[in-house]
Amino acid sequence: MSKTTKLDPITLEILWNRLIAVVNEQAAALMRTSFTTIVRESGDLSAGVFDTRGNMIAQAVTGTPGHINAMATCIHYFLAEYPADTLQPGDVLITNDPQKTSGHLHDFTVITPIFSGDGLLVGFFGNTCHALDIGGRGMGTDARSVYEEGLFVPITRLYMAGEENRELFKLIAANCRAPEPVIGDIHAQVVANDVGGQYLLQFMEEFELETLEPLADEIISRSENAMREAIAKLPDGDYSNEVFSDGYEAPVKLAVTIRKRGDELEVDWAGSSPESGYGINVVLNYTHAYTTYALKCALAPEVPNNEGSFRPVRVVAPERSILNAQHPAPVCGRHILGHFLPGAIFGALAEALPERVLAEGAANIWSMQLSGKQDDGSLWTYVWFSTGGTGARPTTDGISSTAFPSGISGVPAEVIESLAPIHIFKREYRTDSGGPGKFRGGLGQTMDVGVTNGHPWTFSALFDRTRYPAAGYAGGEPGALAHIELSDGTVIDQKGMREFPPDMRISLGLPGGGGFFSPAERDPEAVAEDVVDGLVSVEAARDRYGVVIDPKTLEVDTDATAKLRE
Amino acid sequence: MSNRPVRVGVDIGGTFTDVLLFDADQRRFVIDKVLTTPDEPSLAVGDGVEAVLSAGEHEGRDVDRVIHGTTLVTNALIERRGSPTALITTRGFRDAVQMGREHRYDLYDIFLEMPEPLVRRRWRLELDERTAADGTVLKNVDPDDVAALVEELRGAGIDAVGVALLHSYRNPENEQRVGEILAEIAPEMTVSLSSSVAPEIREYERVSTTLANVYVRPVIDRYLALLSDVLREQGIEAELLIMLSSGGICTVETARSYPIRLVESGPAAGALAASRYGNELGLSDLLSFDMGGTTAKACLIDNGEPTISTEFEVSRVYRFKKGSGLPVKVPVIEMIEIGAGGGSIASIDSLGLLKVGPQSAGSDPGPVCYGRGGIQPTVTDADLLLGYLDPDFFLGGSMALDLSQTRQAIQHEVADHLGIDAIEAAWGIHKVVNENMANAARVHAVEQGKDPRAYPVFAFGGAGPVHAWGVAQILNAPEVIVPIGAGVLSTVGFLSAPLAFDFVRSLNGLLDDIDWQELQRLVLEMEDEGRQILSDAGIPEDQMIFTRVAELRYAGQGHEISVDLGPDRPSRETRADIEARFDAEYRRLFQRSAPGNPIEAVNWRVLVSGPAPTVPLELLSTVEPAASVEQAQKGTREIYLPQEKGFREVPVFDRYRLGPGMSFAGPAIIEERESTAVVNTEALIEIDRLRNLRISDN
Repeated sequence: MSKTTKLDPITLEILWNRLIAVVNEQAAALMRTSFTTIVRESGDLSAGVFDTRGNMIAQAVTGTPGHINAMATCIHYFLAEYPADTLQPGDVLITNDPQKTSGHLHDFTVITPIFSGDGLLVGFFGNTCHALDIGGRGMGTDARSVYEEGLFVPITRLYMAGEENRELFKLIAANCRAPEPVIGDIHAQVVANDVGGQYLLQFMEEFELETLEPLADEIISRSENAMREAIAKLPDGDYSNEVFSDGYEAPVKLAVTIRKRGDELEVDWAGSSPESGYGINVVLNYTHAYTTYALKCALAPEVPNNEGSFRPVRVVAPERSILNAQHPAPVCGRHILGHFLPGAIFGALAEALPERVLAEGAANIWSMQLSGKQDDGSLWTYVWFSTGGTGARPTTDGISSTAFPSGISGVPAEVIESLAPIHIFKREYRTDSGGPGKFRGGLGQTMDVGVTNGHPWTFSALFDRTRYPAAGYAGGEPGALAHIELSDGTVIDQKGMREFPPDMRISLGLPGGGGFFSPAERDPEAVAEDVVDGLVSVEAARDRYGVVIDPKTLEVDTDATAKLRE
Repeated sequence: MSNRPVRVGVDIGGTFTDVLLFDADQRRFVIDKVLTTPDEPSLAVGDGVEAVLSAGEHEGRDVDRVIHGTTLVTNALIERRGSPTALITTRGFRDAVQMGREHRYDLYDIFLEMPEPLVRRRWRLELDERTAADGTVLKNVDPDDVAALVEELRGAGIDAVGVALLHSYRNPENEQRVGEILAEIAPEMTVSLSSSVAPEIREYERVSTTLANVYVRPVIDRYLALLSDVLREQGIEAELLIMLSSGGICTVETARSYPIRLVESGPAAGALAASRYGNELGLSDLLSFDMGGTTAKACLIDNGEPTISTEFEVSRVYRFKKGSGLPVKVPVIEMIEIGAGGGSIASIDSLGLLKVGPQSAGSDPGPVCYGRGGIQPTVTDADLLLGYLDPDFFLGGSMALDLSQTRQAIQHEVADHLGIDAIEAAWGIHKVVNENMANAARVHAVEQGKDPRAYPVFAFGGAGPVHAWGVAQILNAPEVIVPIGAGVLSTVGFLSAPLAFDFVRSLNGLLDDIDWQELQRLVLEMEDEGRQILSDAGIPEDQMIFTRVAELRYAGQGHEISVDLGPDRPSRETRADIEARFDAEYRRLFQRSAPGNPIEAVNWRVLVSGPAPTVPLELLSTVEPAASVEQAQKGTREIYLPQEKGFREVPVFDRYRLGPGMSFAGPAIIEERESTAVVNTEALIEIDRLRNLRISDN
């Protein structure tokens, strides 16, 4: 191929596709060499490529917004600490600084500068992964400051000119309950960036690109323009909304005002609750990540996610508010509120853009952390994620038990039971948990869990929506509240670490998503289908949808329905 | 095996049913193409078989083997035409098959659709039973519970049942017990057990596979019975054999029990044929490239064999997106399929960039040039405008193409938006689709740790030869091979497939803790099952090949890699060798390994195969070649040459008249009935002894 002097749309499309293939390779290598189900089965990671100025150009299709968009902004902190001209081939940087990356100590971000054959810096590869453990109190919301939450690794060199920083590895290993998988995953993060870098250099050689910047500029400016065009279509004005979370010590208010002027947006979280004394605080970088994610879903899902698509959007929150927590506020469970942000934004936009949003859903993923002693006295710990229902769409039902806005995956019960002394008694859809509507919200699930090795165990709850259900839109009704109950009948709170005797079981009822449009508009036959499948009860069909179903035949009683719906 | 000399391959495609007969004694092929009879596919097969038998002056009893591949399984799953089916599963887990991995496969598209399970929730029934992760039975199956479920199913007229209980991959006892009870009290029901269909950990994928299997079983059963009847009517006594997705062939009996293993039967045959050509040509590494109307498939052939994967997704419901289909865990020839074909639609996206596919105009309305009401320009339209296709010689001239409407559509839908002319736009479409396919092929190669630049491209399918040279240049491939007989390539695959079957057992744990005796027992058990099937098919023991594979990983990892265990059965004595093989494979894939970390086994596989039959490919073309290259030229045509950014008149050759040893320089067009090979640079084109086109840089 001839030397690319000007990037015409066709050449650009070709280069762009290739770059996506390169970052997908990076992510695939990460997942394939990972030592934890968090990364490998759940995909709690991000992977992307940056130009030498630190602009994110492309990201892998795998991953979760809290990592992807936080990684996009974090690179600038790395470059402030280690300016590009101080880096050399074989250097690898790492941090888990919550303020500068994805908001809690459990995420390691690894950045690798890539140099061409003649020693020229051409770009960076970065990835962020959730670590199985980082010491401290473990994954939970009980800490009163970040110092209690585990080992803090500031932006540091993990490798220096190809030499491993052994002291740092030793330090991390010594501070984790499960050093092997944690260290193993850091190695996987390094390997992934290497793999990405190798393919990037091949790509640049093949297309005779000496630098990435012209390509980056073109992609980023086109993405920025497309984002601006999408924003411009929204009428000028202020769009506001408030949503509530259970919080920890008190309910938390998340207030948002989206100021739309011309082709730019300012998203202001002023009016939200102040910092909490417990680990549910969110750093601005993470607030930014889920804010920009939600806007992109609603306004321009097809526009590539990169530096350009962030530019027309400004995200602000008052310092020391719960969405702009400052060091040393505890932040471990920051995803709980982070996952509420898209719902707040969609709600603000729902009136102007009803056809582009989904109703509120379960919001945060349910991070399940169990730990305890083994027969030999050593500790075991295991983490997985479970999900409630998504909100209904303006064109169709919500999706049951599926992560949104997080992009993670669940872990098979068979894998969990094979790797940890855990027994899962059930994992099934929660009848009537989907918010009624013309389009029904997705159902949450009921999951019953216990431990099998005869030792007491510890359970860390990082849940929500036991008090504030997922709202429906445009006349749709809310989804079911969450419910957490022990086998002795105790109903427990949605957050905090608890010790249980060996034979205790815990039953988790995950929340459902809200409905869209009035349930009175739902086709009675669709209601009957849900009743046949046990997703909606005969009672709820009558009381909430106004559809009378014969309990024997499970068919619609048309006359009685017409009368009831009058 | 008998001494009867005749083998017959049968391929049922969307439009044509191909029948290929090979007579080993007289060393000749007989080919027949008949129109497919979609409602009753066996009818066309009967006609085709009758035609080749009579043309070859054979009787049915001369036939030693009939090998058949079918798209029926895939189609039944895509079109949801299987039997009313129920699931019996462990209490508390009936939604596993719908919850899947609780994951959205597209991060930003909030309107995505999830695949509907084959069995709705109402018919996902639960049993009070439980096995633990280590195989211990915690609660036995109560026959009365099963009987109660049977009553319920009978009342609803459901007679296909998948049984998939938690941890049955580890200990199938409870599942087998349910199977026995069903066989006893409900013999009329078709039953599949997950522990025999896909005995692998991860309940979503295992249940999904089991349901897909039993869902299509009654349909396949009936179809294969009819097909056997049709063949018997032709006097054929030999047993019908069926192509597996893994490239092996199996008996009808096996196909009836495990129809899900036929899911990629057709494409597998194409890849297998490519590997046979490669072997014949002394090229052990090839990139098989099959481009049709809707999709393109790429498959790497290494050391003469395609790679086998155990993950596949059928019936993607949302823009061909990975994750929008039903997962099936069966051995499938590893290939990548993307929405890039002749019918792929070109459009401009929100960034003002040119996109091609994955949406396809299909065959109705089809590309604009078909003149059947299509208004969105496609790849075929672009190819026509560039002169690569002849408007008067499409499908051998049986269909005239509309050039002016095509030009207008490309101008209007693409060129105007980009501010370029129609020809530039057409070239853009051609180039972007080539790039998309090359990217897919490259990702596919590097995912397996291979360098795509090392592989000659072996091109077939209706649009394959049109685009192969362009794709090969992007990949920096050494050459392109366009086989003679591309039109019946799948049947060639059928005739050259060995009888082969895969078995898998889960015995997971650290190599430190493996019960080597138990492992030996499992491996022997798999070998015995394979030996039985092969010897029933008449293959002598000394010709059977046993390949043993372990799926291993470092303890704590979740992704296992397949490691060929070499000639020895795994045992405590071969452990060091197993570790060394793992280390070598890991390094090949990821550049560095982590010696010292404990290694964990997940699954153990045995592939049992018979000898691969020989197919003299040089006999496929029977048309007498012309005396010289000049005489093989049938005319000239103006085609677009990218280096000149314009059109030039180039020679058009009649593929059937090009003989071995001839060579000429591009640019040139080489036409045959079902496809056209395009060489738009000054490449060298040579005809090899099998009369394949070999295109390389001059």
